[in-house]
Amino acid sequence: MDRRQFIIGAGMLAASTTAARAADEVVIGVVYPLTGNGAAVGLDAKAAYEVAAEIINGTHAPIGVAMGKGGGLDRLGGAKIKLVFADSQNDPQKARAEAERLITQEKAVAIVGSYTSATGATISQVTERYEVPYISADNSSPSLNQRGLKWFFRTGPHDEMFTKGMFDFLADVAKKTGKPAKSVALFYEDSIFGTDSSNVQRKLAAAAGITVAADIRYRASSPSLSTEAQKLKAANADVLLPSSYTSDAILILKAMNEIGYKPKAVLAQAAGFQESAFMQGAGALAEGVMSRSSFALDADKLRPAIPVVNGLYKAHNNKDMNDNTSREITALLTLADAINRAGSAKPDAIRAALVATDIPGSQTIMPWAGVKFDETGQNTLCNPVIQQVFDGVYKTVWPFDLAAKDVVWNVGG
Amino acid sequence: MTLETLLQVAAGGLLMGLIYALVAAGLSLIFGLMDVVNFAHGELMMLAMYAVFVIWDATGLDPLWQLPVVAGLLFLTGMAIYRGLIARALSVPFNRGMVQIFVTFGLAIFIRGAAQFVWGGEFRAVNHTWLSDRSLNLGGVFLPLPQLAASAVCLAAFAGLLAISRTEFGRALEATREDRDAVALIGIDRDRIFAMGWGLGAGAVGIAGVMLAGFYYVGPNVGASFALIAYVTVALGGFGSMAGALVAGVLIGEVEAFTAVVLEPSLKQIGVFAVYLLVLMFRPRGLFGKL
Amino acid sequence: MDNFILARRRRELMVAGALLVVAVVVPRFIADVTTLNVIILSLLFAGLAQAWNILGGYCGQISLGHALYFGIGAYVSTLLYVHAGLPPSAGIFLGGVVGGIAALLVGWPCFRLSGHYYAIATVVVGEIGYLLFLNWDYVGGATGVYIPIAKPSLLNLQFGKDKLPYLYLVLAFAAATWIAAWLIEGSRWGYAWRAVKDDVVAARSLGVNIFSSKMAAAAISGFFTGLGGAIYGLYVGYIDPDSVMAGHFSILIALPAVLGGVGTLWGPILGAALLIPVKELSSSYLGGSGRGVDLMLYGAMIVVVALAQPQGLVLLFRRRAHGPA
Repeated sequence: MDRRQFIIGAGMLAASTTAARAADEVVIGVVYPLTGNGAAVGLDAKAAYEVAAEIINGTHAPIGVAMGKGGGLDRLGGAKIKLVFADSQNDPQKARAEAERLITQEKAVAIVGSYTSATGATISQVTERYEVPYISADNSSPSLNQRGLKWFFRTGPHDEMFTKGMFDFLADVAKKTGKPAKSVALFYEDSIFGTDSSNVQRKLAAAAGITVAADIRYRASSPSLSTEAQKLKAANADVLLPSSYTSDAILILKAMNEIGYKPKAVLAQAAGFQESAFMQGAGALAEGVMSRSSFALDADKLRPAIPVVNGLYKAHNNKDMNDNTSREITALLTLADAINRAGSAKPDAIRAALVATDIPGSQTIMPWAGVKFDETGQNTLCNPVIQQVFDGVYKTVWPFDLAAKDVVWNVGG
Repeated sequence: MTLETLLQVAAGGLLMGLIYALVAAGLSLIFGLMDVVNFAHGELMMLAMYAVFVIWDATGLDPLWQLPVVAGLLFLTGMAIYRGLIARALSVPFNRGMVQIFVTFGLAIFIRGAAQFVWGGEFRAVNHTWLSDRSLNLGGVFLPLPQLAASAVCLAAFAGLLAISRTEFGRALEATREDRDAVALIGIDRDRIFAMGWGLGAGAVGIAGVMLAGFYYVGPNVGASFALIAYVTVALGGFGSMAGALVAGVLIGEVEAFTAVVLEPSLKQIGVFAVYLLVLMFRPRGLFGKL
Repeated sequence: MDNFILARRRRELMVAGALLVVAVVVPRFIADVTTLNVIILSLLFAGLAQAWNILGGYCGQISLGHALYFGIGAYVSTLLYVHAGLPPSAGIFLGGVVGGIAALLVGWPCFRLSGHYYAIATVVVGEIGYLLFLNWDYVGGATGVYIPIAKPSLLNLQFGKDKLPYLYLVLAFAAATWIAAWLIEGSRWGYAWRAVKDDVVAARSLGVNIFSSKMAAAAISGFFTGLGGAIYGLYVGYIDPDSVMAGHFSILIALPAVLGGVGTLWGPILGAALLIPVKELSSSYLGGSGRGVDLMLYGAMIVVVALAQPQGLVLLFRRRAHGPA
């Protein structure tokens, strides 16, 4: 079937992005799950990238982030960033095909994505073959940057860095309060995310001399988690370490509450726990829950750009930025900064500029030391923070010098 | 494992099992009546849950009060699906079995897409109901009130279905099931009976959706996790058997709970599936199926 | 009568030959990767649906668990390559063989079930396989397995950016399944299977061994499904249980045959030629909106085609050829 005929036939003229495009546009492909499981996160990501593009392209007062002065890419004659979104449906095959389509048909000079690690795996193989950069904003599997890929760059932390942050926090809080966590309970879904996360947690717990009192791999999106909650109650560890997406995050808190169990401390591997839907769904049960995050909405003293960018995002998507959306905005700003420094929209020039990237933390919306890639393409300066829920809002409690609130620590006595 | 833990796990399995039974009841009813497996059953439940959320969000009306409204809405939806699609699928001259499978399957995908179109992909939850986050403590064994209420409603719904089967309509239903062609001779409108059957089946899963919305999140894909269990429940109990659905639902709830204890929680559905296959080896038409 | 059948079979072979020539020549003039990708997937699913058709159509056993054989084929070929260095050009056939053996193992207990009981049992068996692979660390568990990027070669069945060799590979696969179905139609087996499908009692009285008929159909169907899965794994370059064993693959394998016409030679091909392009292109061009419009379109199309053409799309062509039946 002729594709164009098909498009017209189905009345999809609006979606026909193949129309002639002005020469002063730089196309960036964005691949996320926009339907099916993961759609909620993908749709937020779409909004985040649109805001980031607005920051880069729009006319506005300068914002204190890389590419924050607006007006497009000045070293490319004010060329504008144009985003083309594609739906991966969380399917690695689909993600691969869409990345290929974006590169060959939409003439994308770089790809940004993609939330789940499985889609990140196939997209990064395509970008490697076609020799265009892939900027991973939020794929957190440590395996991704350890495959010797030349065109892979990750602005955000991976699960090992995140988990190291969580255990550093446990050590710090023990020092501060004199009440160390002696045992943890691992609770993770049977996905690549859950597996990776729990593997690192097991390793770091052993290194820190902390007992693993329960090691529970559960079926994602189960109709019920009541037996799982019962196992956690029986183990009664000092700290519960869940690695779950939104629906299961809500469900396990409810299930534990139903059997009269309140863990002494919950320290989550972000994901579902950082979604606004989690806060709505879990309600009062979320109170006191801790989660690692790569973002701190309340770090506005340190990063004055946060309220400005958050205002833009909120106006666009009617919610605050979170762990994911802030990383996504940062990924696109980093990429645009590299394209601008390259002074060219040629992939190898962009790659060279990405390798040379050195954005100080003060020029980001993140609490990080900055953005600088090592030889595997991993940003080494993106140290995470720990946040805790106070009255339905996450507040940063660690590192202590960034803290907006003192941590509430009910472990030990 | 302590006795307390054992009882707690058993209680959790029972409460969940009764919900599985309620979800499966409508599916079994429709199948028994006209040999149709509704692959959009989970999606009907999802629609009911969204209805509860929308009404609760707009008016703050407690899900329990919404029960008759949403069940009624689903009854009408079920009738409409029968009139619009299933009657047509049943009247095709060829491949009737396959056509009905894939018509309901296509419908399921459509409803999922439509739900995302209307409500977006976000997970939502109904909070602050009378029952939410409260539990009954029986000597260390906790029975969460929302699930307890759901179980009570489940048993009531089964009693209701039993009562319906005693009425004149119920007898017409039974007669239609026994011999579809003969009933026309004694003046029963087969089409009307089938439409009512779909209404009842959808209404039953609507009730399940309402009760579930009291303690479970809502999203476009929420039907899928329950639907698979529902098909297994119906096949294990025997297609068309109400008693079978009830017994099989509870059995599945318990097997699931105890597999999670004995093996790993991520393998709990394998326990359910293994028991199902084992039963089918000895009773190819399920526990209560007519041989 | 016999002459009529022979003439029809010869005609079928000629049509197939002509289609094959078209399928070899036309893609050489297509440069656009999205179109090529859609053609590759359509051919792959035409072959998979034909494989399903051998058991589901000719033999009447509606399996909704073929994702199991598909996934097993992909895993066997990939793991032999990654762990034992066996070139995929040999590995895909071993994937098919293991897929066929799996189909026999599933068939042995399940074939005594009838109708919906059989269908649901196949769903359950498929789901068990999926869960086992998800929790089995040796096969990569949830983390999945990367197929290392190797030098493009026929031995490795990797061709880099070049799409045409992949296209010819799946074309050969689709052609092989078609020829298998064509041979079966003309053989004693084919008659026996159709008898099993149409009337079990009559088939038995004619001396057809019901159980071994079903087992033979299952083995052939499982072999080709496993082969297709192995090729798919190579094409995508990464496999995990969700991307090769999830339940929706079972439906996707059966659907082209059902919409095109079950138990017919051309049904699976026609069905795949309609279904896959609509599915792929609607999600490419409508999915970006994130509103689920692509799902609505896809679902509605399945409903409409199933209701409007219950015998499958092949009937549209048959009417034209022979006038009203």
